[in-house]
Amino acid sequence: MKRRQVLIGWLFVLPFVLVVFFFLVLPLIYAGYLSSQADSLVGGQHFVGITNYIDTFKDPLFLEGLKRVAIYALISIPIMLSVSLASALTIDVIQTRLARVFRLIAFMPYAVPGVVAALMWGFLYSQQFGPIYWFAKKLGFRNLDMFDPNIFIYSISGIAFWAWTGYNMIVLYSALQGISREIYEAAIVDGASQKQIAFRIKIPAIRGAIVLTILFSLIGSMQLFTEPRILSRYTNAVTLGYTPNIYAFNLAFNQSQFNYSAAVSFALGLIVLVISYGFLLRNRRMADK
Amino acid sequence: MQKTLISGSFKKATVIFTTAAVASVVGFIGASAPAHAAAPVHVKVWAWYPNIKEVVAKYNATHTDIQIDWTNAGAGGDEYTKLKTCIKAKSGCPDVAMIEFQTLPTFSILNPFVDMGKYGASNADGRYAGWAWAQATSGTKVNAIPVDGGPMAMLYRKDLFAANNIKVPTTWAEYADAAAQIHKLNANQYIATYGNDPGWATGLMWQGGCLPYKYNGSTAKATVGISLNTASCKNVINYWGNLVSQGLVDSKPFFSTDAGADFDTGKYWTWVAAGWTPGYLSGVLKTTTGKWAVAPTPQWTAGADAQGDWGGSTFTVINQTKHPKEATSVAMNLYPPQKTIDAGSPWDIGLNSAFLYPLVTSVESNPAFVSHTYPVFADQKPNSIYIHVSKVLGAFQWTPFQDFIYSTLHDETAQAIAKKEAWSAVLDNVQTKVVAYATKQGFKVTP
Amino acid sequence: MSIKSPMKRSSHGQKSLLTPRSKTANTLMIFGIGYFMMPLIWVILASTKSKPDLFSTFSLWFGHSFKLFDNLHSLFTQDGGLYLIWIKNTAIYSISSALGATLISAMAGYSLARFKFKGVVFLESMVLGLIMVPATALVMPLYLMFAKVNVVNTPWAVILPSLLNPFAAFLIRVYVLESIPEELIQAARIDRAGEFRIFWQIVLPMLRPALVTVFLFSLVASWNNFFLPLVMLSDNHLYPVTVGLQAWFAQASQESGNSVLYNLVITGALVAVLPLIISFLFLQRYWRGGINAGAVK
Repeated sequence: MKRRQVLIGWLFVLPFVLVVFFFLVLPLIYAGYLSSQADSLVGGQHFVGITNYIDTFKDPLFLEGLKRVAIYALISIPIMLSVSLASALTIDVIQTRLARVFRLIAFMPYAVPGVVAALMWGFLYSQQFGPIYWFAKKLGFRNLDMFDPNIFIYSISGIAFWAWTGYNMIVLYSALQGISREIYEAAIVDGASQKQIAFRIKIPAIRGAIVLTILFSLIGSMQLFTEPRILSRYTNAVTLGYTPNIYAFNLAFNQSQFNYSAAVSFALGLIVLVISYGFLLRNRRMADK
Repeated sequence: MQKTLISGSFKKATVIFTTAAVASVVGFIGASAPAHAAAPVHVKVWAWYPNIKEVVAKYNATHTDIQIDWTNAGAGGDEYTKLKTCIKAKSGCPDVAMIEFQTLPTFSILNPFVDMGKYGASNADGRYAGWAWAQATSGTKVNAIPVDGGPMAMLYRKDLFAANNIKVPTTWAEYADAAAQIHKLNANQYIATYGNDPGWATGLMWQGGCLPYKYNGSTAKATVGISLNTASCKNVINYWGNLVSQGLVDSKPFFSTDAGADFDTGKYWTWVAAGWTPGYLSGVLKTTTGKWAVAPTPQWTAGADAQGDWGGSTFTVINQTKHPKEATSVAMNLYPPQKTIDAGSPWDIGLNSAFLYPLVTSVESNPAFVSHTYPVFADQKPNSIYIHVSKVLGAFQWTPFQDFIYSTLHDETAQAIAKKEAWSAVLDNVQTKVVAYATKQGFKVTP
Repeated sequence: MSIKSPMKRSSHGQKSLLTPRSKTANTLMIFGIGYFMMPLIWVILASTKSKPDLFSTFSLWFGHSFKLFDNLHSLFTQDGGLYLIWIKNTAIYSISSALGATLISAMAGYSLARFKFKGVVFLESMVLGLIMVPATALVMPLYLMFAKVNVVNTPWAVILPSLLNPFAAFLIRVYVLESIPEELIQAARIDRAGEFRIFWQIVLPMLRPALVTVFLFSLVASWNNFFLPLVMLSDNHLYPVTVGLQAWFAQASQESGNSVLYNLVITGALVAVLPLIISFLFLQRYWRGGINAGAVK
């Protein structure tokens, strides 16, 4: 009976394992193999070990893009998550109809596909027919050009903020629902204000969810691709290596350098892994204190 | 009660899942089922010409031996992405693929083309404009059949020049003067915008006598000549850089929603552009239709006749085809030579709906084309200007890594526009980077 | 941990909602609603405008004429009804892959929880690590793989890779551990119910909030998918609506003559986002409960 159970257990897991193997592990293994070969338009490919990786970390185009997404992440994530957290805490306390509408509306951008959102914001940012420039002009900023290469990365940040703040808010809000009522009641009896409850009880209690949202935002930011690609015709800003992911794409699909592109992708993945691991480690250390 | 609830939702889940599973299978079958065709040969074509659907319909209606299965697999780069993947995978490519002139070597180095000379295109050089035929062939090998081109001329706001008494420039020196005058009149107006489009810049350099690339895929596959930093090339870029840095020429990209509107509002008075640009303009202009005119591109030396081209495309036959003969026939006859341009004929659609500039000589010199008028240009007959350009155009070669060169030129120019780099350094930097890239790719690079 | 409906909770002590702090909060929330809705309002208004009006009238108000139905008509008839085909494709691809992913992860999650597999945490970390490599690296190998079995340029090329939703399995595992009492399963086993029957008839219904959450999130991921179908599909009759809209947009920027493609892209964007938004509105009850389970770990 026991053995049969174990067999069925494996059977249940089998489809999942097959999917993960064929559509994640196998392609990655092949990509890894590709990354160990050299590209050359003349003469085809040959084995070069980790040379592609060494080249990647010396490549100014890769490094430029990496720096850009790092800054992008460092600036956008704290802002977005502060707003998400503050909103989650607010709607946790204020239970009005307004709050419920806000909760729903803020989440709606998540239902808009990234490509469609980028297309829409292309129009919204347009100086001729977009409301953004119209408002800016009214406020006196006549020279605001959202496609100016100096600020384009922040324009993209704006799109990401619109798209993800509500989603992160809902994740954090849901986590808040898991906190037991009695703790609040005890705190209020002790005379604590809402603010103190928020900072001393709620935030520490949902630490796990906060860490998770930071982590996924980090991964998403480092892999930035869609918005710059879709909007590239509007601006001079998007260069060959604007983000590492765009660089990998251009290498593979515009320059037929599939091998080097695979190395660049893995390099990016590695960097994201190291940063994430470091972040999780630091978080665990702080939690242990 | 619990039982009904569970079995109810269980049934529902099964129904939903089965329906979805069946639907996806049906979709799969629907997509991959071969079309009914016992006798006619089916030729698969990837192309993004505007209105090609009608041209294909016409072809299919008038041919019983060949039927075309056309799909728009993307415009430009998107199609090229798919072509590169199917070439690498050695399956899935169409029989006929539309490829722009500047991208031909990028593909030919992967060896995917059928030599159409073996299937009926060997004596076709008279059929097509000379400069185009030279780019489409490597020696006797016919890689591509030219379809449309982009001979360059200057589009300008006839009414604004006249109303403000500014001379329509015939030399680049006069163009710079006009630029200053126009911007002085109104700080929100410019003679043009320097849209950072490498193909456009290359066309201008071509007109300036700059021939920066030497590559012959059939004789010397591994040797390429790069000379972007010669005087004639730098002259062109520095000229425009001067105007941009003085603020006399704007720097907004072409082909954005804003740019189209800007052409309509008189923000830009000229556009040195290609024979297909009027088509783009007629789609975006609202109030200034009929106020534009065409003049020859300004010259570097008064009285000279130097010309350039911006874009243009061809049909190629990919060697995964099982019907090279029929595919070649399609490539040559989908937009065929025509003695008259009757209503509904392929070139009628091509010229009047799609605004293509024809590289088929019988169409190019056809009186109907020569004397055609366009609403955008009121009653001017502009095509004779473009035809002259096409006649005079000399040879021009492209490299197998044109995409890298274009990206690098785009990025360096963006730096110059943002004042982070001197305009005079742009081509030097591009030259250095391209030579390094080409060497790394295994090419022997000559100046 | 049971799932409480958030609406039934008391607002722990906040008696008056008109305190000064609450006024700031309310103002900010109203502002927030306006901000998040703005693009959606814009796309609705823009879809009612004719092309000239689009470029000349104020973006956040109506144009001179109401052309919504004209635009919708153009949208659905352009290129022989291609847009409707795209919508149908998107629905087929995303619903099938979402259903498939949900079932696969439900089975796996249940199994990982009930049959006490060791090393699950390690597996989870490994998968997390793998996800960090951008999809750009996966597409070419997938393409080559699919080309070998002649599945390129078919719906399978899009549906199959979208069955991958690793975190869903772990989400369900957590949910099972926390919501489905061991005793219930043991009781059913003693009753000689087969494992699969236990799963279908007892476990799945109890997993409903988690299942709906997984389904919706897989649906969104699949609906969103752009890069994979872009590379896999060359026949524009197979495109999902994301790839199709982007193709029209690219053409609108290069197009000549009398095209109205900009209008169509905008109206098309509106119609493309409506189904998901409506699904979310109607399935609200479920997904909020489901996120609960996954977020608290």
